[in-house]
Amino acid sequence: MSMGPLPAASPSLARLVQELHKLPGIGPKSAQRLAYHIIRTPEDEALALADAIAGVKRNIVLCQECQNLTDSSPCLICDEPRRNRGQLCVVEDPLDVLAMERTRCYSGLYHVLHGVISPLNGVRPDDLRLKELFERVGGGQVEEMVIATNPTLEGEATAMYIRRHLAGTGMKITHLARGLPVGGSLEYTDDQTLSRAFQGRQEL
Amino acid sequence: MAPPRTYHCEALALKHVPIGETDLLVTFYTRDRGKLRAVARGARRSNSKLVGHVEPLTQAALSLARGRTLDYVTQVQVIESFGALKSDLESISRGFYVAELVDGFGSENGANEPLYNLALDTLHAVSGGPDVELPLRCFDLQLLGVSGLKPELYRCVECRSELLPGRHRFSPGLGGTLCLDCRPPDTNVLPLPVQVLKVLRLLDRSRPGSLQPLRMSDNLKKDLQSLLELTLEYWLDFQIRSNSFIEQLHNEAHSAVYT
Repeated sequence: MSMGPLPAASPSLARLVQELHKLPGIGPKSAQRLAYHIIRTPEDEALALADAIAGVKRNIVLCQECQNLTDSSPCLICDEPRRNRGQLCVVEDPLDVLAMERTRCYSGLYHVLHGVISPLNGVRPDDLRLKELFERVGGGQVEEMVIATNPTLEGEATAMYIRRHLAGTGMKITHLARGLPVGGSLEYTDDQTLSRAFQGRQEL
Repeated sequence: MAPPRTYHCEALALKHVPIGETDLLVTFYTRDRGKLRAVARGARRSNSKLVGHVEPLTQAALSLARGRTLDYVTQVQVIESFGALKSDLESISRGFYVAELVDGFGSENGANEPLYNLALDTLHAVSGGPDVELPLRCFDLQLLGVSGLKPELYRCVECRSELLPGRHRFSPGLGGTLCLDCRPPDTNVLPLPVQVLKVLRLLDRSRPGSLQPLRMSDNLKKDLQSLLELTLEYWLDFQIRSNSFIEQLHNEAHSAVYT
């Protein structure tokens, strides 16, 4: 079947292509391919996709405690009684919570910032969930805050900003170790990572 | 003859945005090609050979391959990572400021080596030094100069008469100082205290990295910054976003001291 120009007689198809084209990483050609795929898909599967999209838009809210995306607030993690409430891990995005949970080595709570400070992209501290974070730790229940922002310039700036705000609280503030990734190579490691890996060397 | 598929250049990474699953679209300012946007494939993977090498405010030697629309970074060797600058929040905020302005004034396919050298010189100067205000203001003025927008500081831009000692005015749009007699219509004219003019003339003859410490009152600093900011924003045609972050940090530090 040809993927040529869309027939003018199909405004609903043109609209679907237009909407799909708005998704990140989807160009006009990919949008056309996805649209034709949806047309060929059985009706119940296509409607299930539409229903799933409508469902997340209707049901997803931010957890009032950790600011993560959830169906109900507080979310399942914040609601779990076995979690260590003295530890709070601060991450950039909801996907980072999933990455941390996959490690199965952390049993505390989370706080999702929904971004990092990035003046070049117009993101200021006030645009993040920092106010909620500072209010949350103000309760005094948190003994250790683990800052798990990405080791990028913006991530480091955000970590420093948080640390500066909480400097006088006496709370233990840590951040994830910086160093060599598993499967990496010294030859291709940048100077800063290598020097931090050297500083954080461990006895065998 | 077709140009070679690969080429090398020296560049300062200014910013990046994620594209695709693991790639980054990086904006560089290069020594001999001006501003350059290139894709660093897989640079968001923790074990990529590019990870960490294309972070903003990193000077590096690049190897690139030509692509249909964008070129691809194939190899990177870090020349200077500005570790001292990246270890302090205030210094990072100044680094963001330098990157934003170089991005704003730099043009693609237009080499401007003085601009490249000015950016590096400024980043060294603001890396945690005791007085970073003056090097930044020197950067502001020199940036206008290397971009071909150097303001006139010795003559009236309207009547061309030499400025006599006293109070004058400054017009970003007309490109410099105005004597008190000239009143051009509908221009954004700012008062120019004589002390500000003196500091501007000093900065005009200096480099950010070789400035001698200068004692300035808070008002003088504020007037100088305001005038240069308005001039830069006049030419950029947008608000300098990193400036508000610097101000926020300054205000928070100030309020913490007095509370």
